[in-house]
Amino acid sequence: MNNKKKFDFRQASVPVMFIIICAICIPLSGLSPKMLINEIVTRMGRNSFLILSLLIPIMAGMGLNFGMTLGAMAAEIALILVCDWQIVSVPGMILAAIISVPISVLLGIFCGNILNRAKGREMITSYIMSFFVNGIYQLIVLYLMGKVIPIKHSSIKLPRGYGIRNTVSLLSMRQKLDNMLAINIAGVKIPVLTFIIIAIMCLIIVWFRKTKLGQDMRAVGQDMEVARDAGIEVEKTRIISIVISTVLAGLGMIIYLQNMGNIATYTAHSQIGMFCIAALLVGGASVDKASIGNVFLGVVLFHTMFIVAPRAGAYITGDSMIGEYFRVFVSYAVITVALIMYETNKRKAKSAASMELAAAQDSEDSKKSAD
Amino acid sequence: MNKKRQLIFRCAAILLVIALAVVMFVIGRGHTIYFDNKACEYGGKSYDAYYKVTVVKDKEKVAKLAEDERGMADLMGQKLTVTLEITDKKGEEPHSHKVSMPIPYSMDGVVINVPLLMAGQSADAYMSEFVPIATPEEDEEEEVVIDEFEMTDDV
Repeated sequence: MNNKKKFDFRQASVPVMFIIICAICIPLSGLSPKMLINEIVTRMGRNSFLILSLLIPIMAGMGLNFGMTLGAMAAEIALILVCDWQIVSVPGMILAAIISVPISVLLGIFCGNILNRAKGREMITSYIMSFFVNGIYQLIVLYLMGKVIPIKHSSIKLPRGYGIRNTVSLLSMRQKLDNMLAINIAGVKIPVLTFIIIAIMCLIIVWFRKTKLGQDMRAVGQDMEVARDAGIEVEKTRIISIVISTVLAGLGMIIYLQNMGNIATYTAHSQIGMFCIAALLVGGASVDKASIGNVFLGVVLFHTMFIVAPRAGAYITGDSMIGEYFRVFVSYAVITVALIMYETNKRKAKSAASMELAAAQDSEDSKKSAD
Repeated sequence: MNKKRQLIFRCAAILLVIALAVVMFVIGRGHTIYFDNKACEYGGKSYDAYYKVTVVKDKEKVAKLAEDERGMADLMGQKLTVTLEITDKKGEEPHSHKVSMPIPYSMDGVVINVPLLMAGQSADAYMSEFVPIATPEEDEEEEVVIDEFEMTDDV
């Protein structure tokens, strides 16, 4: 028996394509290696935790969790409140995490319950649900904050007296986590503490896969009916996976925003879901299979493309907007291709199974007629 | 019995998290401290500004004030400890004073008048709340941008 895993060329095609794009664009961009590495390391620290939050729902067979934006919204609400209370630096981030967790849990339970009612259509349901919850978020942030929820500072509040400004400054928290224990190697700043947190998260995910709950999730992901027959509470397991993902997305969003140093109040969360999913897919993940390796490869390739594409576009066409359009086009295209590939594979598997069944029935019929 | 133990552990965990949040509330409270090197009158007595004041916080010079100037420093927590290097008159040697004082939790911005502080006056005399005045830009109505379907550079 050959136990070696078969190399999946189709799966590897997306990372290979991105490696080629990056290899062409890097020299054209004219960026120095030091600057490029600096940017990539910064973005790795900024985004990896968020993308790791997508792994658990994939394990539970729920596909790409577009509902991760719910966790991002919870984190933003928590950060706005913490900002208004003037809790600064790392304590501010810890307090924001503490506030965001219960909000994320509630949103996760809500999301999980809805997704249980839409089995097989989790991705589109979670995508549309993120729009729905975005509406509620806007209601809270645009109308209730300042009117019902007390907001004291005019630097956060809109001049009309209620609602939050388009941008909330997080200057008091900016890169506080990244700068703690940071080291400089040949001009490249390494945010050691952020990487330690990400590494701990990776270890937790590896450990979690081996736990009873992790095994249950994998069983549910492979076949819900078989898992149910084996005594696993399928619905509960799926809800837990979404809750964990939402909570992690919230924590990841806090790490992301502390690096940025400001909150784009009404748009940050909607962008986050898209580019995290795109980065994971660029790393070679698919809708039903993703690993920690895919996360890091995805962050490096996707963000290298993000950094170099506008400059390369400017060099080739004389217009940096071409590079800008290109990276947006590629980001959405990679998600579309992944979804098409997933659906095609699913249909192929389904038709292969029905062909097998038909062949088995035919042979049974021919046996009966021979008798 | 098992369920009871589970409940106890859960309650303890929640209490622990709440306690952590309270600790963060206290130790993470940020203040902006404004140091005024301005002449003033208090209790019928006038106090002159110094020629130069340098404010050192955590071994870092955070403000250098000439006469009638204001400097600022950020503070986390409720206790301010700074070293003031004061030059009384031009050409004189500066003398250092380490000062430590509690900052009221409720105040975001605190103005400290250095001449009054150095004269040994009470906190009510040298400390006052900073009340920001909204700038015209802050008062301008802001158009809220809700939908943005493109990926910007800031990812």
